[in-house]
Amino acid sequence: MHRPDTRRLTELSLLCAVSLIMFIIEMQLPPVVPVPGVKLGLANIITVYAVYAYNARDAVMIFFVRIIIGSLFSGNVIALIFSICGGLLCLFGMILIRRFTEINMIVFASVAGAVLHNIGQTAAAVFVMKTTAVIVYLPYLMLSGCIAGGFTGLCAWLIIKRIKKKQP
Amino acid sequence: MKKRILIISCIAVFVISAVWVACLQTRPEKDMRLVEIISDGKVLYEIDLEKENDREITITCNGRKNIITIKDHEIYVSSAECPDHTCMNMGKLSDNGVPIVCLPNKLMIRYKESGGDIDAQT
Repeated sequence: MHRPDTRRLTELSLLCAVSLIMFIIEMQLPPVVPVPGVKLGLANIITVYAVYAYNARDAVMIFFVRIIIGSLFSGNVIALIFSICGGLLCLFGMILIRRFTEINMIVFASVAGAVLHNIGQTAAAVFVMKTTAVIVYLPYLMLSGCIAGGFTGLCAWLIIKRIKKKQP
Repeated sequence: MKKRILIISCIAVFVISAVWVACLQTRPEKDMRLVEIISDGKVLYEIDLEKENDREITITCNGRKNIITIKDHEIYVSSAECPDHTCMNMGKLSDNGVPIVCLPNKLMIRYKESGGDIDAQT
């Protein structure tokens, strides 16, 4: 599929902007479970969507722009390490899954991505805190990741269905 | 086929983590009440909650303060200068071995284990 470059640039910028808005809205929500790292991850709807609707390079670009600008907005620079470690593992997993399965597996790909994100986060936490004790949180993170990932995947699937209808 | 592997592994992860969480939550109480306060990988305080009087401890890491309060033989983070305040929301240190951590300020409060680190298995 060949698209003019300007159009692609505009679409990618728009997606970055939307995911940043979601990220900021989510910051205002009170934490549901008092476990560090547990989040709904609304902004990841865009990441999942980008992995399925664009190529791998575009998805990685959107992801990096979002987390770097997002961490500037939230003022939480240490969270950047966790986001990068988790997010890269998650992106890698989802891009791999997309290669081997059709689009109707997007919900499960998203769940797998969320769990990989949690594993990456925990690995980063072990590195930052210099202790393996934080692994105790991994099951809590994975459980919440399954639920949040399912929700994110469902949202991304709905977006893909609606946008496909509109495009000629 | 690949589809089935993906679905099964997702369900497996969900079930395993649910069981794991249930195990952690129902872990028997420890009789030991020795608590460690760890900042940036170093143990700063070792406190016996049974004997300790009510007091406040201030810990500074990277220029940001966390105030830890000990009251009625229980320990919690009462104030934190970090963006997320997760450590404050975690409340008192519970008996089932899940530590209180403040990731931005690299602070951790946990029960001391005789064999070094808390093992991840239950």
